[in-house]
Amino acid sequence: MEISQGGDDSHQKKFALPVDSEHKATEFRLFSVAAPHMRAFHLSWISFFACFVSTFAAPPLLPIIRDNLDLTATDIGNAGIAAVSGAVFARIAMGTACDLFGPRLASAALTLLTTPAVYCTSIANSAVSFLLVRFFTGFSLATFVSTQFWMSSMFSARVVGTANGVAGGWGNLGGGATQLIMPLVFDLIQHIGATKFTAWRIAFFIPALFQTLSAYGIFFLGQDLPDGNYSQLHKSGDKHKDNFAQVFYHAITNYRGWILALTYGYCFGVELTIDNIIVQYFYDRFNVNLHTAGIIAASFGLANLFSRPGGGMLSDLMAKKFGMRGRLWTLWIVQTLGGVFCILLGKVGSLGVSVAVMLIFSVFVQAACGLTFGVVPFVSRRSLGIISGMTGGGGNVGAVLTQVIFFRGSRYSTETGLTLMGVMIICCTLVITLIYFPQWGGMFCGPASKGTTEEDYYMSEWNSAEKEQGFHNASLKFSENSRNERGKRIGSAPTPNNRTPDTYV
Amino acid sequence: MAIQGSFVASILLSYLVAACYGATFASLQDTLIVTGSPKAGQVLKGGEDNITVTWSLNTTFPAGTDSDYKTVKIKLCYAPISQQDRAWRKTEEELKKDKTCQHKIVEKPYSPSANTFTWTVQKDVPTATYFIRAYVHNSIDKEVAFGQTTDSHKATNLFEIQAISGRHVSLDIASICFSAFSVVSLFGFFFLEKRKAKAAQKS
Repeated sequence: MEISQGGDDSHQKKFALPVDSEHKATEFRLFSVAAPHMRAFHLSWISFFACFVSTFAAPPLLPIIRDNLDLTATDIGNAGIAAVSGAVFARIAMGTACDLFGPRLASAALTLLTTPAVYCTSIANSAVSFLLVRFFTGFSLATFVSTQFWMSSMFSARVVGTANGVAGGWGNLGGGATQLIMPLVFDLIQHIGATKFTAWRIAFFIPALFQTLSAYGIFFLGQDLPDGNYSQLHKSGDKHKDNFAQVFYHAITNYRGWILALTYGYCFGVELTIDNIIVQYFYDRFNVNLHTAGIIAASFGLANLFSRPGGGMLSDLMAKKFGMRGRLWTLWIVQTLGGVFCILLGKVGSLGVSVAVMLIFSVFVQAACGLTFGVVPFVSRRSLGIISGMTGGGGNVGAVLTQVIFFRGSRYSTETGLTLMGVMIICCTLVITLIYFPQWGGMFCGPASKGTTEEDYYMSEWNSAEKEQGFHNASLKFSENSRNERGKRIGSAPTPNNRTPDTYV
Repeated sequence: MAIQGSFVASILLSYLVAACYGATFASLQDTLIVTGSPKAGQVLKGGEDNITVTWSLNTTFPAGTDSDYKTVKIKLCYAPISQQDRAWRKTEEELKKDKTCQHKIVEKPYSPSANTFTWTVQKDVPTATYFIRAYVHNSIDKEVAFGQTTDSHKATNLFEIQAISGRHVSLDIASICFSAFSVVSLFGFFFLEKRKAKAAQKS
């Protein structure tokens, strides 16, 4: 469907960025804050960043908190697990909430509802209360799904990968920034005159206020779709609501979604685990002071500035030459190398080498996150929201598992835990070899010899009754656009490159 | 002259060798008698209560044992029960890596008798079970001897310290108020949103 010239002129005048027929931006201009597209981008990554800062605000201050609350290693491990377990189901539920209420209200609501947990961290006085505040604060990590959903609503297929990768990566940055921010804030408050056991409590008001303000920003400055908000569009009948039961069924019966959920647990999940344990690791093993441990730990998360977006861009680059098979191979290689460097991290005993290995490890593990979401959009078209939520939730499950097995209590020393986690990464990443798309192939097999097409794959999600009513048209458009996943070597069908790639809502 | 010279040289060499290797706890002699004012099982409050420590040389040791004693560092140390499942308080033989005694009470020049010091329990001392240990350092600041208020198994004469909570009423109130405000403002948003949607429908 081509843009009609007449209508297009008036629309072009309305938006600061060039848009397609659905008014989704076809360009991604990082330094613009133009409403609604780039403004939505900046609001969503900033609020996701704020949620990450709050969720991982406790780990850098644990050497103080563990003395104040008389925590054992088991208590600390349990709280770390609680922090990432809440979001497992919250991420899946968030996909539904975005569908029903729109990403603006859904993310503003979740962000605001979790701020009491951050404020109340200041009044925690036992291991149980500490675990509870970390558990409820962790729910805010579900804003990942609203971020990705919002970007997919605002940006066309050509740039949605970049928008998603940068928004996701810069949000994850919060996990690194907090390791710097919290010790600094703590130092400042101590200098002003508070004792240690009071200063850390006051420090938690900073991430809490930041989170509150970002939620207000989303509500007052954000917009669900280029044309307006859900509540207005629903009433005017412009948006069609899909059947939740069908969408859910097609999501859970697609085995690729489950495989990616597992492997995301061993790149993103590992990233969350490291955010939780890394300050204590450097503080206790190498005897650096809290400030220095925070800086070292921060550099792990700060690599997200370029490594996760870089992973997304690498995925797109590989797809140009080798199609989906290239995406899968690159994902497997990068994530396995992440596992190798994790093994090394546990083995090195000197501070300098340890920091260097950690930095290399961070780049590989975060790039793997970006590479995963280069594959996710193609697993399902109809159930994209839930598949994204499942993958995201799987990431948190991985964080729960690795912390339960390796970093809870005193069974393994932290360095042994790191090495064993690296081995587990390598083993669990092997399942990527099982992903197979009949129209494009898998890692070891080419596409099905009977010539399955993209339409066959994506149309299998709709039954004939729905097709009669024309609900499947968006999937049809998407099938055409996804033909470039065949890669250069196999490209036989003419790619519709003169058409604007209309995209999915 | 030559014998004196080589004697001095060998002493210097042994100091050098000793300094290169970290001292271990087993290499220290238990030559000080240390007593602390807290009775066994007593609970002291952080920031409020005092501890009075007295220490002196155990005279049953031969004269000249304390010839290289220069300074004494008195420290508050964790009892085994407070070290359980807390690797950051672990006891290690090598003193550089040992984390049993993390709170310094006082450091004073060595003298064989009549030493005493009163210390107010600081506000950053955590809730735990403790004993008191004194390390004696020589002129190159290496540990050479010790004394402690408990026995070699660290089982007798232990006392507890109850830390300050760090909480204040003003902080509690601020937390509750900000939390309530966040939730209330959310409902305000939903209300505003409904009004906007109704207005859009009407127009």
